[in-house]
Amino acid sequence: MSSSSDTVSISSPLEDYLETIYLLVQEHGFARVRDIAGARRVKAATVSVALRKLAEGKLVDYQRREYIGLTSKGERAARRILARHRLLTRFFAEILKMPREAAAEQACTLEHALTDEAMDRIVRFFEFLGRCPSVIEAFQRCPVAAGADEPGLSAAASTCASCAVRNDVKLMTLSDVEPGQSVVVTQVASGGALRQRLLDMGMLPDTVVDLERTGLGGDPLWVRCQGARLALRRSEASTILVRRKA
Amino acid sequence: MTLTLLESPSVLSAPRARPPRARPLRVALAGNPNCGKTSIFNALTGARQHVANYAGVTVERRAGTCPLLNEPGELIDLPGTYSLNAYSPEERVAEAELLAGPDVVVVVTDSTQLQRHLVLLVQVMQLGANPVLCLNMADEARAAGQTIDVEQMERLLGFPVVETVGHRGEGIDRLVAAIDRAARNPVERHKLVLGEDLDRALDDIARALPPPARPEQGAAWVATRLLVGDQRQTRRVAALDGGEEAVALARLHRTRLEAATGCDIAVFVTERYFGFVDGLLREVRHRPRHVDTRQLTDRIDAVVVHRLAGLPLFALVMFAVFWLTFTVGDYPMGWIDAGIARLGEGLSQLWPEGSDSPLRSLLVDGMVGGVGGVIVFLPNILLLFLGLAFLEDTGYMARAAFLTDRLMHRFGLHGKSFIPLVTGFGCSIPGIMATRTLENERDRLTTMLVLPLMSCGARLPIWMLLIPAFFPPAWRAPTLWMLYGFGIALALLLALTLRRTLLRGDDAPFVMELPPYRQPTLRSVVLKMLTRSQVYLRKAGTTILAISILLWAATTYPKPPSYQVDAQLAKGELALAPEEVEARRAAEDLEHSIAGRLGRALAPVFAPIGFDWKIVTAMIGAFAAKEVFVAQMGIVYSLADGGQGTDSLRALLARDYSPLVGISLMVFLLIAAPCMATIAVTRRESGSWRWALLQLGGLTAIGYLLALVVCQLGRLVI
Ligand SMILES: Nc1nc2c(ncn2[C@@H]2O[C@H](COP(=O)(O)OP(=O)(O)OP(=O)(O)O)[C@@H](O)[C@H]2O)c(=O)[nH]1
Ligand SMILES: [Mg+2]
Repeated sequence: MSSSSDTVSISSPLEDYLETIYLLVQEHGFARVRDIAGARRVKAATVSVALRKLAEGKLVDYQRREYIGLTSKGERAARRILARHRLLTRFFAEILKMPREAAAEQACTLEHALTDEAMDRIVRFFEFLGRCPSVIEAFQRCPVAAGADEPGLSAAASTCASCAVRNDVKLMTLSDVEPGQSVVVTQVASGGALRQRLLDMGMLPDTVVDLERTGLGGDPLWVRCQGARLALRRSEASTILVRRKA
Repeated sequence: MTLTLLESPSVLSAPRARPPRARPLRVALAGNPNCGKTSIFNALTGARQHVANYAGVTVERRAGTCPLLNEPGELIDLPGTYSLNAYSPEERVAEAELLAGPDVVVVVTDSTQLQRHLVLLVQVMQLGANPVLCLNMADEARAAGQTIDVEQMERLLGFPVVETVGHRGEGIDRLVAAIDRAARNPVERHKLVLGEDLDRALDDIARALPPPARPEQGAAWVATRLLVGDQRQTRRVAALDGGEEAVALARLHRTRLEAATGCDIAVFVTERYFGFVDGLLREVRHRPRHVDTRQLTDRIDAVVVHRLAGLPLFALVMFAVFWLTFTVGDYPMGWIDAGIARLGEGLSQLWPEGSDSPLRSLLVDGMVGGVGGVIVFLPNILLLFLGLAFLEDTGYMARAAFLTDRLMHRFGLHGKSFIPLVTGFGCSIPGIMATRTLENERDRLTTMLVLPLMSCGARLPIWMLLIPAFFPPAWRAPTLWMLYGFGIALALLLALTLRRTLLRGDDAPFVMELPPYRQPTLRSVVLKMLTRSQVYLRKAGTTILAISILLWAATTYPKPPSYQVDAQLAKGELALAPEEVEARRAAEDLEHSIAGRLGRALAPVFAPIGFDWKIVTAMIGAFAAKEVFVAQMGIVYSLADGGQGTDSLRALLARDYSPLVGISLMVFLLIAAPCMATIAVTRRESGSWRWALLQLGGLTAIGYLLALVVCQLGRLVI
């Protein structure tokens, strides 16, 4: 996330109010003191105090008497905090496998404390995980993550790509397939534009690819995928991970 | 995924009010490569744009008008594109046009490939465009036993759907009506459901888009590009006021979706596209359970791209094309030649015997001698293009690219360079244009630079003139074949050199789709031949005629004030027959003319490769257009024998030059100095004069050197 210079610094309870108003506005198109109080489980008077402070900071405005909206500055601040909340919740719940409630609670406290920089790093880490999803899978499957005392090479761990490499288990790519065989794509690990092109041509995970023939000398490969006949070089085929058809 | 209307109004599908059009209707044709867009375009507009059975035929935006539409409007044919995430120059053209917001987008699809081709439709829907879906190749789909419930499809999608057979014009009337219908009532909101999580994320990002980046149409598209982290869009949006937030939000959603699904965002989004298409097809498509997957195409391919037999077969096919061009073409060529000779005689008889009227000389020597010499070869040109049309239309071209990829790769060329290179046998200019299908700039430049070495159709007349003049009949076809082969070999070597020096870099990936075999229709082949003849004759009647007249003038004027022969005769130094006197005078005329002097001035440069001044003048003309070489030789010889020679040009050449000069000449003409138009196109397509001049200078130098080697070695041997 960009650390924009005009990030508003307000206290954490106020940030919580912003978040609530944002969600209410998203849901109903407006927020009333009553709703805010209900959502935050506080008294209406407390809400009014908070709202006054927020209005001073030009974060909210009263559209009609009791209808409260966010200014664009307020909306920005709210979205920032909400984004943090969601991200952190998912981090604790989905990656670290904490129960949902506990994860949300953790997120609530941490979302205010993290500096923009720390948040940015976490986002980057997430991006990395997204780009390399096998890492999350590997982590979650790994006995170490499950809290096993003896982190050894269990059967489950051997399916992990990095363990496979370490243990010299060869992953099969399309270039290892013999003419006449059918395989299923597991991952398109090609880089750059090639990857998008292959995806656009329908070479997606779980699609069946038949290797029909190769050119003289084994290159290029002639495959069938989603009804299309495609020619691709061995070097490109070696970036497509496959498994045998069940 | 099911097709339901989005319940809550979201920004993505907010109804938009399109302002009434002030300008004429704009209809764009978009679709995957080789789905028949240009066939449809031709059927709608009556144009004759190039159609062929391989991916990447159209590389430029082409506009035309469709007289059948209710409203006057412009129809735009676009290059094929698999998706709107453009990479290659020609795909970017298509993307730009679609983003510019045409009034109606006709999404053309191959009905036998719907699960892949409809993905582009989804993206066009995201763009908020006003689509008409054209299910082309309905004949092939029907033959495979597939039926589509068009009405149901229209109901589900909410815009017109039409089945067509593009190359035969079936269903075009319905397509026209559908375009009219779409133009009258544009789609207000698309019923596009890509899954709750994705739709929600896109909606959220779209809401955060700052107004300038949030066109009423296409917010979903911009949001998707941000979500998948498309660099161009991200940069564009981030530069806007408040755009940073949207970008950050998109990044957050990406992270969230990736973490939730455990797969990368590009795969995730693409899978959802395919998912939507699957859901749609499940409701509208009916196919027989057991489809015969071994289609005719596969049976043919088992032979044609056989591991061992494939390459020899390819060599044989190419040989057959040249054999056809040469042998079969000789008969009609003889007839035309005789006709033109008669025309020349007829014209010259309008003047009294021995008249030296300049008009007669212009007509007989300049125009008939020059242009006539070029027109003679029309049959050969047509046969060459017939051969190429056969390769293109059947689908063999893509197979040939598959077969030769390894070889091309060895020499640093890309598999996709093959089709532009073969196109270059017809003419270098479309060949150079066709390099747009190459994604990598280095591959593209390499291909472009060596492309003139593919002996083009305009050089064919030169070979047709020279080869029979210097080689016995049995040797002629093999010589022609060797000449082409020599050009190819040299192109490969040069490509390798370029890739090792100026254009060093990694290999670009190679992925190519192979179309099914299709039977070329008689109509399309005849049309291609007609178009070709028109082009050839038009060129002969304009450029070549003009240059012929210029060259004729340059070869005729100024006349010498007096003739040496006359002086010598008067002094009694010589005793000659009247015809010989005439011939000597003509020779003196030539020497005195501008062309003669220029040729003489340059002759020392070309003497080492065996050319005399006549050839040099013709060579200068050939820079304008290759055929002019033949025209100018015709003019020179016609003038030289005072218009009374009955020997054919070939016989005269055989009389005046040794076979060694003939070979040297062919080598030089094959390699050196591509024509002006080629240089200009290289300049345009490479974007700089540097490459164009390198091409001109480099090829000329190599041509000269090789001709020198041939000539000097030959002299040693003989
Ligand atoms: N059987 C059949 N063939 C068709 C039909 N429409 C087009 N073709 C053939 O399909 C091939 C491709 O047609 P084009 O019109 O060049 O396709 P395109 O979409 O313009 O191709 P690109 O410009 O390369 O993207 C040609 O060989 C056509 O003759 C059709 O409806 N049925
Ligand atoms: Mg086309």
